[in-house]
Amino acid sequence: MADTINQTARKGFLVDTSRCIGCRSCQVACKQWNKLEADKTSNKGTFENPLDLTPALYNRIKFIELEKSGEVSWLFFNERCMHCGDAGCMKVCPSPGALYRTKDGIVAYNKDKCISCKYCVSACPFNIPRYGDDDKVSKCHLCQDRISGGMTPACAKACPTETLKYGNRSELIAKAAAAKKTLYGVDDLMGLGVVYALEGPPEQYGLPAKPSIPLSIFLWKDVIKPLGILGFWGSIGAMLLHYVTIGPKKVDDDLDVKEEGHE
Amino acid sequence: MSEYIERFRTSERVLHWAVTASFFTLLLTGLGLYSRLFHGYFGLFGGGINAIMIHKISGVIFFFSSIYMFLNHKKDISTFDQDDKLWIDKSGGYLSKDASHFNIGKYNPGQKLFALCIAAATAVLGVTGLIAWLPLYFPRFIVQVSLMMHSLFFIGSIMFVVVHVYLATIGNPGTIEAMLYGDVKRVWAKKHHPKWYKETTGENQ
Repeated sequence: MADTINQTARKGFLVDTSRCIGCRSCQVACKQWNKLEADKTSNKGTFENPLDLTPALYNRIKFIELEKSGEVSWLFFNERCMHCGDAGCMKVCPSPGALYRTKDGIVAYNKDKCISCKYCVSACPFNIPRYGDDDKVSKCHLCQDRISGGMTPACAKACPTETLKYGNRSELIAKAAAAKKTLYGVDDLMGLGVVYALEGPPEQYGLPAKPSIPLSIFLWKDVIKPLGILGFWGSIGAMLLHYVTIGPKKVDDDLDVKEEGHE
Repeated sequence: MSEYIERFRTSERVLHWAVTASFFTLLLTGLGLYSRLFHGYFGLFGGGINAIMIHKISGVIFFFSSIYMFLNHKKDISTFDQDDKLWIDKSGGYLSKDASHFNIGKYNPGQKLFALCIAAATAVLGVTGLIAWLPLYFPRFIVQVSLMMHSLFFIGSIMFVVVHVYLATIGNPGTIEAMLYGDVKRVWAKKHHPKWYKETTGENQ
């Protein structure tokens, strides 16, 4: 069951990857605003750092090096929670209010309500949620505390090249479409809250071409769950029906006849 | 001559009820995880975090006691004879009002199949449960499939348990005594398990 989302009022990001210079101001600003600890990191011979999202890193720049006929091109990709319109994490979360949708269409969370089941980790189409030492979900929440006060999320505020543009989602898409950008995430999963203007095929950025909720998660929540409830009550109904139609096998049914001979 | 004969030893009954108790603890603690519709069941245990912890503990108890029970009865429940085939052909007489007689040993084929299915479900639920317990240590795909399989085998188990409870109580009066007190009436044994009755008592009916 998808939660309801008001597409016209929806807020979001338009990430124009062609403008990104890989300065990582977004990473730093996010850490500062959300008071996130520094992560111990390692050097793998690339400028990309850290190499993955962590419980204390809600967004990062992924560096992609491509070699085409001797020429090296460098792609920068802002990786973060996509705030899916049909969010796998929200679909599986068993604790109401732990992961919730704001009136702006953002997938926010309340750590106090998180019960540490980690279902959201498995259900995310983009492998975003992380669990830290507190054993609670953490991910980008689009600076709920800033946007509710009318401010721009910290990452977008810090971005010097306007790669990260925050605003009304449909307006941002309309503008980018008018500029003939190749957009990713306009309609998938009832629209991603973070829409990308990419410079190449999604696979080049490590993105699924057609993002969707993982098949076994869909089967679990949308097929097995309802059929299971039906099956449980069905089996109880079948037993009651058996009891009143065919009836129980009473031990003395045939004995009475043999031993006492009445009937 | 006593009216009763022994069907289950005390140790067998204690084991059975340990499996039962852990199964229903798993059911109650797991309902809130199965769907948000059953979120209220978390309240029985003081919240979701406690429910998950109790689910894990009772899961371990259920896994080992259920597997132990299976190993104890492995031979009895995995061999089917000619009389069992006849029982299967007639669905044990459960689909007809007419009195039916089958020459059945200690367990009828329905009970054997139930035991085999629960043993298989125990193995699957145990393995997938362990993976769902430690989702960050397994590939995401494996965890996703495990979560699905866990719910599927839970549903299978609960439906089998509904049938099991019905047949052991109101469906076959006199049966539950075997698991409560250990003894069953001779007339019950002669009707439901004549071959077993003959083997234990040496009596001809």
